[in-house]
Amino acid sequence: MQLTFDDDVEAFRAEFVAFLDANLPSAEEADRPSRSSADVPEWARRWQRLQFDAGWLLPGNPPEFGGRNASILQQYVHLEELSKRRILRSFNPQGVGIIAASLLSFGTPEQKRRWAVPILRAEITAALGMSEPGAGSDLAGLRTRATLDGDHFVVNGQKVWTSGAHDADVILTFVRTDPDASKHKGISVLLIPTDTPGVTRRPFGSIASPDDLDFNEVFFDNARVPAENLVGKLGGGWAVAHGSLGHERTLLWLIFAERLADLLVDFRPVTTLDEDRYATLVMDAHALRWMGSAALAREARGEQDVPALSVLKLFGSEAAQAATEAAFESAGAEALDHPALTGPLSHLSLEAYVSGWFERYARTFSGTIAGGTSEIQRTVIAERVLGLPRG
Amino acid sequence: MLSEFDEDQRLWRSTVRDVLAKECTPALVRGAADAAADTGGPGGQRGCENDLYSHPRRHMPLEALWQTYTNLGWTQLVDPSEMVELAILVEELGRATDPTPFLATMTQFVPLAPGVAGAKQSGAALPEGITARRDGDGWLLDGTARHVLDGDRADWLAVVTTEGVFAIPAAQASVTRVPVFDPVLHVAEVALADVRVGGDNLTGADPEKARHQALTGMATTMVGACQRVLDLVIEHVRTRQQFGAPIGSFQAVKHKAADMHVAIERARALAYFAALTIAADDPRRRLAASMAKASAGECQSLVFRHGLQLFGGMGYTWENDLQFALKRAKAGEVLLGTADEHRALIAKENLTLAGVDSRAAHV
Ligand SMILES: Cc1cc2nc3c(=O)[nH]c(=O)nc-3n(C[C@H](O)[C@H](O)[C@H](O)COP(=O)(O)OP(=O)(O)OC[C@H]3O[C@@H](n4cnc5c(N)ncnc54)[C@H](O)[C@@H]3O)c2cc1C
Repeated sequence: MQLTFDDDVEAFRAEFVAFLDANLPSAEEADRPSRSSADVPEWARRWQRLQFDAGWLLPGNPPEFGGRNASILQQYVHLEELSKRRILRSFNPQGVGIIAASLLSFGTPEQKRRWAVPILRAEITAALGMSEPGAGSDLAGLRTRATLDGDHFVVNGQKVWTSGAHDADVILTFVRTDPDASKHKGISVLLIPTDTPGVTRRPFGSIASPDDLDFNEVFFDNARVPAENLVGKLGGGWAVAHGSLGHERTLLWLIFAERLADLLVDFRPVTTLDEDRYATLVMDAHALRWMGSAALAREARGEQDVPALSVLKLFGSEAAQAATEAAFESAGAEALDHPALTGPLSHLSLEAYVSGWFERYARTFSGTIAGGTSEIQRTVIAERVLGLPRG
Repeated sequence: MLSEFDEDQRLWRSTVRDVLAKECTPALVRGAADAAADTGGPGGQRGCENDLYSHPRRHMPLEALWQTYTNLGWTQLVDPSEMVELAILVEELGRATDPTPFLATMTQFVPLAPGVAGAKQSGAALPEGITARRDGDGWLLDGTARHVLDGDRADWLAVVTTEGVFAIPAAQASVTRVPVFDPVLHVAEVALADVRVGGDNLTGADPEKARHQALTGMATTMVGACQRVLDLVIEHVRTRQQFGAPIGSFQAVKHKAADMHVAIERARALAYFAALTIAADDPRRRLAASMAKASAGECQSLVFRHGLQLFGGMGYTWENDLQFALKRAKAGEVLLGTADEHRALIAKENLTLAGVDSRAAHV
């Protein structure tokens, strides 16, 4: 157990802080905000590429994948500095955190070069195509079909919720390649470029606004995808899904940790009851970081413990939701219109952070729904952490 | 920061577990509970001053257990820099519902009076209720401290007053064991009637820092007790069959178990965070100790409710060992300040630590 960091870690932090001071895009440079989770404006692409090339995007990675082989504690202070300043590394978080990460775990060397590196360098952006109208919590019930025809897969079916798909260059798409195999065994994963003929994307509004376009329906109508775009083994999609969900839950709990840190600043308790709820937030923020540090250490050692990540995902999302509701209520009727306090570099944080308390509260439900709902996480914890029987 | 135990700490935990599995068995705990119950039963005339069972020296298995602990050197974990190791020990003791005065001695008395008690002696703390009045070159200690944990079976007492912290032999006090609902718990009323003390009795300890250790110790032991409840619940719901299936396959049961696990993980995280701030004498120790106690309190509330509920009628019986862990966890909540009281401190302390920018204090 460690509370403070050794000199080498503090030196690493100082180096990163110096990099940030020298290179953070200014507010003037940031001429327009990002509109969706795969819409990365030019200035933000330059920013992400700069981090990649300097080995600061994912410091734990080797240099060829945007890192510098940093130790676990070094990665920790890196995240801490980003969080302190409310800085997003990438405006295509799924691309970097889930899709590129999955390709680095399951992709061929060629796929890493052709897709993962460009995603990490913000040359292209990516979306995650798992959910379907009939397959939400029951992901393995997905029905989008891919049939091998010579050196191509022919894809037919529909995805939904696909965040940022209309702005993405490629979708990591979970498809059924063997309808006769058991539910989990007939699934494979394809990288489908969005300019493939037969791919149609239809964005639709979120609870925040009809103009808040992040969700998409994606239709595949005889879309022909090169067989070399198969990620992992044919029929091995469930293993990739499992890995991707692990990456997604890591990405998510880290986001929740940042949200809690932001709330500690933005939520200013007024009444004694507010203070009581604020205290819960203080505890949750500390506990999530502390619990999460063990998960990061496991990940740095290459250990996979996806069920344990469910604990962080469930706890973090519900803590952020409760604290945001407390802040909303504390603001009284002002919450109907009051813009949230923002950090000094709001252009480097998510749009949600510049919205009012009402919107921020509504948006906390993305945390308890996306990436496996809270109910699903509870079941995962009961069965796979505590060993209760399935049924 | 990193919350993982290192190699030595993992080894230490498994050593402690092995010892307690052999020495502090459920049968022994039940024996201590039955002994207390035999003297009057709940609500009966238990626990008067001459109670045969109020002193561990009279209750042989507890005496032997205490000997085991002291022979293993467990009472030598007195340096605050070893707080994480002490916390590991105390968590396991909570899990085993340790019936000895270890917790009070090591996390309440020793921090207030380091170096006073012998390695085989026990102690209790009187954080409030006693006043010190100047008397020549000494003081007179007077007053009554209520609900003193293990006050009835302590060799030494540490008395906190505005004049300083004094250590006195317990024989100088008039001690009455209070009958309490939890049969394994020892709580006493301790009265001092103008007990004369001198400068030699002053321990020089900082009562505020000692309080952090007491809170963290109590929180950690509650976490251990809660973990024991969950362990028993998991075992039970995997085997108990209804409607032709193990009850643990029903989702309403699963989700309660998952919530118990998350609450325990949260409280455990904050307990060890607090232990580490104490070991490092970090400025966040005051905040951390309150967070540990508050989260342990919130945890036991949920764990008690779900734990007893999921056992059905079996959980409502004297026969079932679940009761000991439940009672240990719940009793801890009302000692040293409830979760509500600590949450009030947390909000203020965090805003203070934070100054203008609360991120400065953020982990
Ligand atoms: C903001 C946001 C962004 C998203 N982005 C993406 C994306 O980029 N790519 C992608 O593929 N998907 C994405 N999703 C989809 C997300 O993964 C699904 O919404 C989620 O898995 C739940 O599926 P569903 O919406 O079909 O709800 P359902 O599965 O229909 O669930 C509805 C309710 O029933 C409960 N329920 C369902 N099954 C069970 C069960 N077995 N036991 C107990 N309760 C159950 C659920 O917990 C929930 O409360 C996103 C969702 C949101 C909200």
